[in-house]
Amino acid sequence: MKRRSPVIALAITLAVAELALAGCRSKTSSNGSDVAAATHLAGAPDWCGTKQITLAQLDGFGGNSWRLVTTASGAEEVKKCPSVTSYQYANGNGDTQKSISDIQAFTAKGVDAMVVFADAGQAMLPAIRSAYKAGLVVVPYRVEVGGKAGVDYTQFVGASFLNDGVNWGKWIKSILPGGGNLLFLSGPKGNSQGNDELRGMKSVLDDSYKFINEPPYDVTNWDPALTQTVLTAEIAKNPKIDVIVSDFGPSLVGALPVFQKSGRSIPALATSDGNALGCFWKENHAANPDFKLFTVATGNDNVRLAVDWAVAKATGGTPPTSTTFEAPMFEDSVSGKPNPVECEANLPGDIYLSAKLAKDVQATVINNK
Amino acid sequence: MWETARPSKPPHRLPRGFMAITLATILVFALGAVVAPSSISHSAIIGMVPFAAVLAIAGLGQMLVVQHGGIDLSVAGGVSLAVVIVTHQPDGNDARLAAAVAMAIAFAIGAGLLNGVLVSRLRLNSIIATLGVNALFYGAVFVISGGTPRSTTRLLARIAGDLTCGVPHAAVFAVAALVAVSLLTKCTVAGRRFEAIGANPSAARAVGLRVRLHHTLAFVWAQLLYCLAGILLAGITNQPTAFQGDSLLLPSVAVVVLAGTSLLGGRGFPVATVIAAVFLRELQQFVLALGVDTSVQTLVQAIALAVGVALYSVNWSSVRRRLLGRGPRLANAAPAQQPRRNP
Repeated sequence: MKRRSPVIALAITLAVAELALAGCRSKTSSNGSDVAAATHLAGAPDWCGTKQITLAQLDGFGGNSWRLVTTASGAEEVKKCPSVTSYQYANGNGDTQKSISDIQAFTAKGVDAMVVFADAGQAMLPAIRSAYKAGLVVVPYRVEVGGKAGVDYTQFVGASFLNDGVNWGKWIKSILPGGGNLLFLSGPKGNSQGNDELRGMKSVLDDSYKFINEPPYDVTNWDPALTQTVLTAEIAKNPKIDVIVSDFGPSLVGALPVFQKSGRSIPALATSDGNALGCFWKENHAANPDFKLFTVATGNDNVRLAVDWAVAKATGGTPPTSTTFEAPMFEDSVSGKPNPVECEANLPGDIYLSAKLAKDVQATVINNK
Repeated sequence: MWETARPSKPPHRLPRGFMAITLATILVFALGAVVAPSSISHSAIIGMVPFAAVLAIAGLGQMLVVQHGGIDLSVAGGVSLAVVIVTHQPDGNDARLAAAVAMAIAFAIGAGLLNGVLVSRLRLNSIIATLGVNALFYGAVFVISGGTPRSTTRLLARIAGDLTCGVPHAAVFAVAALVAVSLLTKCTVAGRRFEAIGANPSAARAVGLRVRLHHTLAFVWAQLLYCLAGILLAGITNQPTAFQGDSLLLPSVAVVVLAGTSLLGGRGFPVATVIAAVFLRELQQFVLALGVDTSVQTLVQAIALAVGVALYSVNWSSVRRRLLGRGPRLANAAPAQQPRRNP
């Protein structure tokens, strides 16, 4: 047996001491529940208190343009509060184990607050709970992790997909008052986002609006190739499709030309925004008389609300009143309100003009990758 | 009967896999016509053919590796990398498309050589080696794109996605790939050596053929075909993801097996491989047109695959004899799962 070197022994000792100290911190530091009264840093937003903190943003998966824009949006929001002295980011790369160890690592490092995009859902709850129990302010957002606020984490900041469904439903009713055939495409089978959106639509639309897809929605996995295949089958099956509803608009850009190849006009489309989709509409609406477009914001700014909550709880600021991000309506080709369809042809197709992050900053974020 | 006996010549026999997959394909079209007519409508076929073409090209690449007794799991990464390169590098500019295609081909050749060296020189198992190279591919995908490809250039969308005289361009590419692979493997000396080495490497080595070179080149040809499949897929989907090749991994092996190429190596069946690709994609259209639940769609495709493979890879007369438990085994009965060999 080799004798253990003094350097390794020292490292192990330090690591053990750090773990012990992390344990101690859990008894002494605040996770927001013992913040006595709201403070406010002059010149900063209400949610920015005076206590200086460090904050981490954790992503379960960071490898697509939507996530890049979302991460940059989170970082921009943090900069509004000078009380946050250090901001760090970790990408789980779609690996649940790594996402869990990221949370544990930041807990051990002693950050004061973290916002977590828990892609793995409930599998992340034990790690989130242990971080919360260790005294951190923990704000999971967008993806449900189960558990309860104040017990397992500080606050969950959800997204209202139901609200998206309601907005789509109202628009469909406005352009198609007499009812019609609707085709609803969503992601993987069983995803709750699609179910919520459908509930939202059905709360507005009566039985004169017929969903011609398989209930509750046609499965596309949000994959452009599968979307194209599914759409091809639906076009062949249904001679009359009045409106397509999709919760990932940009994935339709490759699929919609299938209508033209079948000698039919692209129908009206209710979906979420994306620069590629806006540009596609501008190029094709003249040749497709039925092609009307309505989008809701794709929701990059969900992270801002989560950051506001985390910073408010950790610095002693005033938390926002809402715990749910409601994606605003964005484009309507019929009324032009709140915006006409937008296209930035000189910028990448996968930026999101609905996001608060400036479009050229988004382009820089994406181009640097 | 499928055989024609001629007294003066050895009987001309169509391969069993070819017959099985052709019949299955006719069956799925016929069933579609009766049960779900929309699955064989013009628009459904026009929509299905480009994806069948991409699968056929990837399947032809996989077939060349399988002919040498390997399996190439880097097909997913190879296709995805080609997709990312031809969308990210031109960034919507048609003028830069040619350079991007050249870059994708260079990557394909490099990756094929790497696979080939790992398998034929360093004697790694092809599954392990290509799995590792697949991870490298995805590393390259992230380095180049950060996981986000761009929209396809207009030129590529036209080249890959448009129709000429009602024929999807992707189908023309698939036929060209089929003709090239068939002619090169069946009608050239190098191609015959390639198949002979796959059938029996030891014998090939004994007669002085360059076994390791052909093994290595099998992976290179395969990567070039994956690259072509990726470029076409980028054009067809317009707004692809960075992981577009993932969905081709299992189907690319399935079409090779359905076509009757033995996983132990040997003779390849390019025409049957292309027919198998059409079969799988039309089956997908058929179950979508039926409008059944997604889980049932997956089950139907899996069962069709199992039945398709069982049709020709199981020696049914032997099974029947065993089940009935009578009569001695015939001396000339062909054993099940016999690897197909060249004479």
